[in-house]
Amino acid sequence: MFWQPTSLQEAVRLLADEGGILVAGGTDVFPALVDRPSPAGLIDLTRCAELKGIAIGADAIRIGAGSRWSEIARASLPRGLAALQAAAREVGSVQIQNSGTIGGNLCNASPAADGVPPLLALDAAIELVGPHGLRRLRVGDFVLGNRRTARAADEILSAVLIPRRLEAGGSAFLKLGARRYMVISIVMVAVTLVPGPDGRIADARVAVGAASAAAQRLGGLEARLIGTDPVGSAPADLVSAADVAGLSPIDDVRASAAYRLDAARELVGRAILQAWEAARA
Amino acid sequence: MTVSPDPAGLADAAGLADAAALAVVGRPLVHDSAVKHVQGAAAYIDDIAEPARTLQVVPGHAPSAARGRILSIDLDRVRAAPGVVAVLTAADVPGINDCSPSVGGDPVFAEGRILFHGQVVFAVAAETRDQARRAARLAAIEVEAETPAVTVDDALDRNTEVLPPYEFRKGEVVAALDASPARIGGTFRIGGQEHFYLEGQAALAVPGEDGDMLVHTSTQHPTEVQHITAKVLGLPDAAVVAECRRMGGGFGGKESQATQWAVIAALVARATGRPAKIRLDRDDDMIMTGKRHDFRVDWEAGHDADGRLTGVDVAFYGRCGYSADLSLGVNDRTMFHADNAYNYPAARIHSRRLLTDTVSNTAFRGFGGPQGTVFAERVMDEIAVRLGLDPLTVRKRNFYAPAGDTTPYGMPVEDNIIHDLVAELERTSDYWVRREAVKAFNASNRILKKGLALTPVKFGISFTLIHLNQAGALVHVYSDGSIMVNHGGTEMGQGLYLKVAQVVAEEFGVGIERVKITATTTAKVPNTSPTAASSGSDLNGMAARIAAGAIRARMAAVAAAEFGVPAEEVRFRDGRVFGGNASIGFGDLAKKAYLARVQLSEAGFYKTPEIHWDRPSATGRPFFYFAYGASCTEVTVDTLTGEMRVDRVDLLHDVGRSLNPALDIGQIEGAFVQGMGWLTTEELVFDRAGRLRTHAPSTYKIPTASDVPADFRTALFESGGCRADTIYRSKAVGEPPLMLANSVLSAVFDALAALRPGRVPPLNAPATPEAILTAAKAMRSD
Amino acid sequence: MTTVSMTVNGRQVSADVEDRTLLVDYLRNAISLTGTHVGCDTSQCGACVVHVDGRAVKSCTMLAVQAAGSSVTTIEGLATGDELHPVQAAFREHHGLQCGFCTPGMIMTAVDMIRRHGGQLDEATVRHELEGNICRCTGYHNIVKAILDAAAKMQMPAAAE
Repeated sequence: MFWQPTSLQEAVRLLADEGGILVAGGTDVFPALVDRPSPAGLIDLTRCAELKGIAIGADAIRIGAGSRWSEIARASLPRGLAALQAAAREVGSVQIQNSGTIGGNLCNASPAADGVPPLLALDAAIELVGPHGLRRLRVGDFVLGNRRTARAADEILSAVLIPRRLEAGGSAFLKLGARRYMVISIVMVAVTLVPGPDGRIADARVAVGAASAAAQRLGGLEARLIGTDPVGSAPADLVSAADVAGLSPIDDVRASAAYRLDAARELVGRAILQAWEAARA
Repeated sequence: MTVSPDPAGLADAAGLADAAALAVVGRPLVHDSAVKHVQGAAAYIDDIAEPARTLQVVPGHAPSAARGRILSIDLDRVRAAPGVVAVLTAADVPGINDCSPSVGGDPVFAEGRILFHGQVVFAVAAETRDQARRAARLAAIEVEAETPAVTVDDALDRNTEVLPPYEFRKGEVVAALDASPARIGGTFRIGGQEHFYLEGQAALAVPGEDGDMLVHTSTQHPTEVQHITAKVLGLPDAAVVAECRRMGGGFGGKESQATQWAVIAALVARATGRPAKIRLDRDDDMIMTGKRHDFRVDWEAGHDADGRLTGVDVAFYGRCGYSADLSLGVNDRTMFHADNAYNYPAARIHSRRLLTDTVSNTAFRGFGGPQGTVFAERVMDEIAVRLGLDPLTVRKRNFYAPAGDTTPYGMPVEDNIIHDLVAELERTSDYWVRREAVKAFNASNRILKKGLALTPVKFGISFTLIHLNQAGALVHVYSDGSIMVNHGGTEMGQGLYLKVAQVVAEEFGVGIERVKITATTTAKVPNTSPTAASSGSDLNGMAARIAAGAIRARMAAVAAAEFGVPAEEVRFRDGRVFGGNASIGFGDLAKKAYLARVQLSEAGFYKTPEIHWDRPSATGRPFFYFAYGASCTEVTVDTLTGEMRVDRVDLLHDVGRSLNPALDIGQIEGAFVQGMGWLTTEELVFDRAGRLRTHAPSTYKIPTASDVPADFRTALFESGGCRADTIYRSKAVGEPPLMLANSVLSAVFDALAALRPGRVPPLNAPATPEAILTAAKAMRSD
Repeated sequence: MTTVSMTVNGRQVSADVEDRTLLVDYLRNAISLTGTHVGCDTSQCGACVVHVDGRAVKSCTMLAVQAAGSSVTTIEGLATGDELHPVQAAFREHHGLQCGFCTPGMIMTAVDMIRRHGGQLDEATVRHELEGNICRCTGYHNIVKAILDAAAKMQMPAAAE
């Protein structure tokens, strides 16, 4: 069966009563469906009005879960969200960005999901709506592992909330692939840095994707960056081997674990420098 | 009729006549199907309107096994699935269960044993494709799994081969190496390549009366589809017609690999009496069909202080997969091109054709030749590093002389234009100025390194299986003056149909629009060769010209009688026929000829002259001529992430006198980018269980538009025409330019070499970011 | 089975299809518009690009039912009678095709690209935005040239005003 609810409430009710697979842009669901038996039911969320739109509130920027990547890429947003917008432009291809949604990217929970590292680097939270109401989780507590999230079977991810306290910072997103674009990442890095009045780093977020089952923050490195000025440092000098030691990349067809670790370290250093340049601009 | 003696006086006209005298040949006409393509109106197999009651066919395999005895095949659930009409296995084959293009060993359906992961065990036919696909997943196939040999090294350990080893010898290589001032060598690896034709394998079989079968097939080799379909169905060849209007890409991947699917569709049609269509899923296509051979190359070479070679001793270990398929010719061609454009004073070129429990590797643009040339370039690059010379200097010192040198297989190199061609590219690409700029860049950048390389191509033209160098064409002139041409060549985007039509239009002195291009079919021209070995226009163009020339001669006789002039003075041009002061429209003359009971139809036949090859003694002249080219590529390598960017490409290629420069430039650019993909981003990964892990475009990366540099310059080399007597003195263009991409690999090597002068970068192909970073780390290590 | 109706190339169409039928299969099989091709079945190659309510999408990533009520444009809907759309004409003129299998998707992507960027379209943008469309024959060079030329020609009337 196929349902196309026009409100979130109706979608939640359908999910509770009928079950089935939730689908938005379909860019992950349909290619994976090809040879598999038809799912019992499909609930298409693309016509739910509540899932649409990007709104800048007093404390947070609310991005409807149904926002397509091309909408996010083209939206007028504070510079601290530049990494998220850069990631939006590197999801699949233009046509995929025209269909794929930020909510779908999070719920699909691929270790290589482009959206996750920038959201981690912005302290973003998500909002889940179910029959028993609404709850909020930090993105890091929502994406648990490879294809695993904290979403209960009867819940729908309705929005991404980005606190405004980091929005004045500089941010950067770097992605390494076997080809520069249109590639499922080998490693990607998102960094947000907020400068203090002394011209040194006052606040830092560093997140790495595709190098562990779920994207991770590098807490030790973040703490060490506070109070420093990375100008003039070489990327490799900013990041130690120990900083990336907590990552647990896998060997797969895209790259070996050793290569991912090497590349992650270098890429993190470069992203820090790039974000810092943006922060001071 | 045959090519000799020359009945229509073609050779003179085909000679080095002034190109300006040609009205249609040599013009950059747009592809004959272009208007249809831009409107989505050109039909591929899957677009043909299906006859009523057409069944949809899906192949099934044993997902769990790569090698082992089949214990049981339970297809009951498949048969019971909704919409299923027929399920076929080896037991349902009325004729011979084999679709090999060569010595056998390619069962249509597995029998007794599984030979590779993805081997077809059965086929299911249902009312809809979706039903057939879902039913195919319900099979239960038990296999007594054995450990597969997956890699070249596995096969060497196990010592299994699909064919015996083969060798070329020139001079005394051991003595030459012993006497060399310097010796170098090592082992490196060259990866395979998936064809990734955009249109997957497809066929539509339509049963006729008396058991006849019409097969619409996306194939480079309709005759093989016809013959093998007949063999498998137990029919005479004459009962089967194979037809192909166009392919959505081929690249060698539809030379032998298209047959099995056409055969399966025909088997279903035969068993059910209903039309049957098969179109492989991309995943099925990638795991079930063969690819370019990957190689391990063990080599040693000697050189003098100037970098001139003294001898080369090389062994090519080719991964052939589970069967011979076309591996004999492919591996032979690797050997034929192990010299590329370089004179080896002494050589031993050894080849082993290894059997692995993987899909059977097959033809792919260049047919093994590119792997041979990659080796030759590696030798040049290593000599340059060892001696601290510029790689281009080393290359030029080792080029074959303009005439007088002999290849390792004993063929004299008589038409060598590589010196002039490279000199021109050296100038137009500004090589030496850029070399200094690259040095300066590398001196001031620690992490980013630039590389520059200018590499040559020399490629032998002719099928090395001599009997394939023949072609037929059928030309009709109708009484209204319209012309139909048909030939054995197939259209896969390269513009062969247009080139042959240009030849026919030229012959009759009419506009191209008067020539009707028709689908390749075994019912019109029999016993054809595959459209392969770059031979399409050489062979079919000549056959069509011979056919058209014969008709023209008869029409000229009619005109001569009409005008009262000798037949030799009759001229065909601008859609009219001239004699003395009179002229007549081409259509009016056709009408007159018909009324005069003159035959206006002809089957032309051509066989390449001069070539001969005795494989057992490895002697002869296997190639009618050589095609040449050169390319210059500049890259920037990020030595801390392994990422690489191609900054600029200059291509200069020899097509003799071009039949159609627009088509030829398209072939050159496309082949370069395809070769670049092979040597950089395209990596086939098999796991230890023998399963292909990169079986979709999400993991197997062919180049996209942004991988190609904006600064991409292509030019045709003005050579004055092919020295051999080819069609309008043109040269084959399908395969040779693929090897222009060798300059990309050499440029990456050059960039890495800049990390530590004198040390050889341990770079394998493809140069993926990971391979580049691995080599860069080795360059930095102590 | 569900009856799915939409506007395709300006015409109202309707067909009974299974819920799980992809838009590309609806176009090719249910209403016989075979110019939209299936190249990879996995949303990568771009041979199936069409416009849905003005957005370029891969029609293998969308169900037909999701497009119900929408306005869809396919390669067959670009030309006006015998007159090719400027992008179609440019692909023909610049030899931006060989086997032709990717061509419909390429052109649909190009039309969308030119509509969004207009005169601002530069070569780097063209190459970047073509990444969702794979061509195995041409090496892209002539495709990029064709798109840039079409974009320039389509700007000309506006520039003359």
